[in-house]
Amino acid sequence: MTMSPFDNQPDPELGRLLRERLTGPAPEAFLRRLKGAVAAERADQWDVLAGWARPRVLAAAIAAGFLLWLGAWFGVMSRTSEPGVTMASSLPAQAVVSAQPPAVDEIMLALREREPR
Amino acid sequence: MRGDPEAFGSLIDRHGLAARRAARAILRDEDDADDAVQEGMLAAWRAIERFDPARPFRPWLMRIVVNAALDARRRSKVRAAEPVAETLESGALGPDRMAEASLLRTRIDAGLAELPERQRIALVLFDAEGWGHADIAATLGVPEGTVRSYVFHARRAMRKSLGTLAEGMK
Repeated sequence: MTMSPFDNQPDPELGRLLRERLTGPAPEAFLRRLKGAVAAERADQWDVLAGWARPRVLAAAIAAGFLLWLGAWFGVMSRTSEPGVTMASSLPAQAVVSAQPPAVDEIMLALREREPR
Repeated sequence: MRGDPEAFGSLIDRHGLAARRAARAILRDEDDADDAVQEGMLAAWRAIERFDPARPFRPWLMRIVVNAALDARRRSKVRAAEPVAETLESGALGPDRMAEASLLRTRIDAGLAELPERQRIALVLFDAEGWGHADIAATLGVPEGTVRSYVFHARRAMRKSLGTLAEGMK
């Protein structure tokens, strides 16, 4: 053994002795154990992620459904507030429900009542 | 590598046994050392997202493993240290050589046991693993000059412990 404390290079003989002493039995089995532990950890992580995601996906779907319904409702509301419809809603009821078309005077009267004074 | 257990598996193949030797140098108990390495590898796997690829991987991984081994050592300090299992190939040796090999193992164990923890780690990483001073310094979180000093003192102590015995093993 050429072990000098001043040597700046690894001592191969001391290195060999230390490796033999410290490597331990069944090195291949030990490496398999480590890889198995990592694989098991990864499976656990997916389980946790799936457990976390399931209720949140459901909540997101409910929220999306609610938003869609809200959007549709606003769409309907904005259509009902179009000028023509508003005008019709301000006509006298008998003009709307009557089988006969309303007289021009009635329509003009209704429009004049809607104008700001 | 990130999130890919196969890529991480190849890193385990590359560094797993060096990590085991470092852990055994710290703990000197086979089962505790193996548990510490596993704990360290899992911690590295969980923390892989935080690893900076611009930095060398080996000291980063070894630092985690060494810390796991040091934690395990602190936890098990109340327990008496068991001797490291005999692993030297001695089946083909005659009775005299077997006795010599046994004595060599005892001397190595005694020499390592006398070294301060960080000197022991530095010696194993430098001489057994062939690491450079810079990587050891990064692992231990000390300047390179300190690593040189650790190796110097550790070698001197090991030389004293082994004497001329190791030459007889050639």
